[in-house]
Amino acid sequence: MSRSYLGEFEELVLLTVGVLYENAYAVAITKEIKEQSGRSVNVSAVHKSLYRLEEKGMLKSELGEAEAKRGGKRKRLFSITPYGKKALDESMELRTNLRNQIPEVAFKWQIG
Amino acid sequence: MTKKTSIPRLPYLFFKWYCRSDRFEELHGDLEEMFYDRLDEFGHSKASFYYYLDVLRCCQSYAWKKSTTQNTTIVMLKNYYKTSSRSLMKNPLNAFINVFGLSLAIGICMLVYGFTKYVYSIDQHHVNKESVFLTTIFVERDGTMQQNGLTPRPLATMLKEDFPQVRNTCRVEDQNAIVKHKDNVFHEQVRYVDPSFLEMFTFPLKWGVQDALGDMNSVVLSAQMAEKYFGSENPIGKDLQIIFGLENSKLFKVAGVAEEFPKASDIRFSFLLNFDNLAVGHKDYDEHDWGELLKATFIQLDEPHAIAEIEASMDKYKVLQNEAQNTWEIHDFAFEPLATLYERSPNIQSDISYGRGDNAASVIFLGIIGLFMLALACLNYINIAIVSATKRLKEIGVRKSIGATRQKVITQFLTENILVTTIALVFGFILGTAVIIPWFEAINDFSMEFTIYDPLLLIYLPLILLLTGVASGLYPSLYISKFHVSKIFKGSVEFGKKNPLTKIFLGFQLILACILITSAVVFTQNTRYTAKRGWGYNQKDVLYTAVSGEKEFDQLKALMQQESAVRAISGAANHVGTSALHAVVTLPPNNKYDVKELAVEANYFNIMGLKVIEGRDFNNHPGSDRQAIIVNETLVKNLKLDKPLGMELGYDSSKFEIIGIVKDFHSNNFFYPIEPIFFRVAEPENYQYLAMQVEDGEQSEVYAKLRQNWSSLFPEIPFQGGHQEDVWGLYYAEINGHTQFWQVIAIIAVMLAALGLYGLVTLNVSGRTKELSIRKVLGARLDQILSVITRQYTWLFVIALAIGAPASFFLISFVLDFAYAYHMPINYSGVATAVFLLIAVLLTTVFTQIGRLSKTNPVEGLKTE
Repeated sequence: MSRSYLGEFEELVLLTVGVLYENAYAVAITKEIKEQSGRSVNVSAVHKSLYRLEEKGMLKSELGEAEAKRGGKRKRLFSITPYGKKALDESMELRTNLRNQIPEVAFKWQIG
Repeated sequence: MTKKTSIPRLPYLFFKWYCRSDRFEELHGDLEEMFYDRLDEFGHSKASFYYYLDVLRCCQSYAWKKSTTQNTTIVMLKNYYKTSSRSLMKNPLNAFINVFGLSLAIGICMLVYGFTKYVYSIDQHHVNKESVFLTTIFVERDGTMQQNGLTPRPLATMLKEDFPQVRNTCRVEDQNAIVKHKDNVFHEQVRYVDPSFLEMFTFPLKWGVQDALGDMNSVVLSAQMAEKYFGSENPIGKDLQIIFGLENSKLFKVAGVAEEFPKASDIRFSFLLNFDNLAVGHKDYDEHDWGELLKATFIQLDEPHAIAEIEASMDKYKVLQNEAQNTWEIHDFAFEPLATLYERSPNIQSDISYGRGDNAASVIFLGIIGLFMLALACLNYINIAIVSATKRLKEIGVRKSIGATRQKVITQFLTENILVTTIALVFGFILGTAVIIPWFEAINDFSMEFTIYDPLLLIYLPLILLLTGVASGLYPSLYISKFHVSKIFKGSVEFGKKNPLTKIFLGFQLILACILITSAVVFTQNTRYTAKRGWGYNQKDVLYTAVSGEKEFDQLKALMQQESAVRAISGAANHVGTSALHAVVTLPPNNKYDVKELAVEANYFNIMGLKVIEGRDFNNHPGSDRQAIIVNETLVKNLKLDKPLGMELGYDSSKFEIIGIVKDFHSNNFFYPIEPIFFRVAEPENYQYLAMQVEDGEQSEVYAKLRQNWSSLFPEIPFQGGHQEDVWGLYYAEINGHTQFWQVIAIIAVMLAALGLYGLVTLNVSGRTKELSIRKVLGARLDQILSVITRQYTWLFVIALAIGAPASFFLISFVLDFAYAYHMPINYSGVATAVFLLIAVLLTTVFTQIGRLSKTNPVEGLKTE
């Protein structure tokens, strides 16, 4: 079992950071998750996960450019680190592995 | 119209306050972006609302400022909390002793608070308490000036006319009457007042109107009386018949019902009638007679300080009064504000307030007991903390060597102390409200209306916490933090055993315990003593009942004489134990004395078993001895009569010759001193009581017969009689209450002292395990070890008891003299019991420890670190 434990929501955030590439900052990530998964997400939860993932070393970040619609404030842009990719791959692998191990019989439901 | 687009300021400032500066830009940028997005979509108010939510949601650790100094303090406090709770859990016995002792003490402090508050809030609910005054007079009695609550009848009316400062006056008079509604007929006390009564005093009405008393035909009831006569329904408009005397009654309409009186109130009423009804009930009542006195005259001023002017110009009333009669020669008038009336009442004779001095005294006693208990518990804490610190010396050493200053160590121990006291406070609070206060109310049969929803309590309890915290924690923490690191690790700290203060504390505890145990023993003995003490007359086989006048008396007497068990029957206008007339007698030249008068039938002395020790009894011929009186010993003593027999006393503008002296007897219970009393022969038409002597053992049957005869003769009038033995009513219940209180207090005190001692001895023995083990190995017998351990407490005990025993003796003598006019002769048994009990506690404690030591293998003892 990998030592880098990824929470379900964290994994979602990590994936979305990857999807958005160069434009991954909190507000965009929140919107993207909402759009793709249909879940209502609030921005503070996303903040929390982003900083946590950065602490764990799975994300790195830099300040972007100032924008008028942000009251002239810069945004923090996140990108995946190699360690983050490894954590993602391991997580995916674990899931695929487990999925493949389920015997076909388990899905053959008797109807009626 | 321009749209509002600004970000709400309040949450913005809040965000700015909590957010760490390095993340402020990016985080607030996000929030702003979302705000503007929503502004376009939903409009300003909804966007602002979401912004509020976001600011609150973002208030999490990732966004917080990191303050370095604050953090270490919190970490240190956490560490203190952890070590403290560990050391408490490691020694649950000590923790229990500390928490239990402090909780008990705090519980008693809550009682002290509740009771004090009760006593000092009596009659404080009147809105006008500062501007309403009771008029009092000063008269000369027994050679000194005496303040008296009675006032001349016409005074109120004249004050109102003469002084513009007086807004209102109110006359008050009480009379007994029979009150009847359908089948409910009872003897009651009726209060006649001016209509201003309900205006001057704050008695909110549950039903009815404030000016109800303006009507001559209206009556205002207390909630209790409304319940008694009409049940829970609204009685407004119902009829109530008030019977003033034979063939003299009047129908009243209920016009008001007062709310339940506050528990802490003294001036109350059952029935209020318009003052002018007094003349209806008593045809000869003359309200303009300066020669007669009134129960109470209240005045209300617009400006309370104007009372001085009025007080200074009262002279003309003195003249008026003193011309009219001379028994009540007024030397001065004084006005007592309602606010302090209850408190001052013990110094004022026959005033309307029944303030008793012993309430104030009880507050002081309880306060002292509370302090004693707190002291006992704190001393336990200090002793145990100091001695148990031996086991934590290394911990202190380590803390100091890795950089803790002395201040930090002090903080640590104070934190630990606060932890313990806070736990104790919680338990004490529960104990106080759920156990101690209800118990105290039960044994004293009253309710102090204690409530935990009291803002003052929020100040009082933390104050107690602070006091106990500082008192118990400061010394140990100063003491423990003093040691040098090097000495601690070298093991050269001389500790615990030789601390003189520990011994002084323990000694002090022993003295306190000694005093409290002595009190309990003496109070118990005294209760038994007073139960057996003679009353000075025969109370066992006497039955009595109230009658009104000769006719009733004769009818009842005729019926009762047919009973074979009735030995003799006597009539009386006043009766020992139930009523006595206040009288003023004069001795030449013109010295006045307050005495009590009992007017009785000639054979009364035989029936009551009163002993005439000098002179003679009344002659049993109708019409004889009309100008003769028989006095008691106290009267002879108080009036300093040399040869009393044959002397004449002036009374009621006539002369009476003393023909006999009766032995002193208790007409009142043992709390009160025997009063000077004289007897004279009563006119049969004045008979108010029928007293009879019955065969011993037949009391109950005769009593039943008496009740039966009464109800067949006078079905309309409620029966008012009883066994003479019951005239003191609640007296025995009350002194039983006292005893129970002291016993419980003493048990608690012994428990606290024993627990403290036990804790100390246990720690001492376990601290010396090695030494004692070596002694054992080398062949010491158990009794030798016993003497080694007890030796260090022997002197302490001797000195503590040498101080404690005499102190207890004098204190208890003082308390008994103070509380009881008649109590048992004080002996040494109480003190002796206390001394033996304490020595027994010491020995038991030491023996249990020795017992444990004897069972362990000395090798185990030597192995211990």
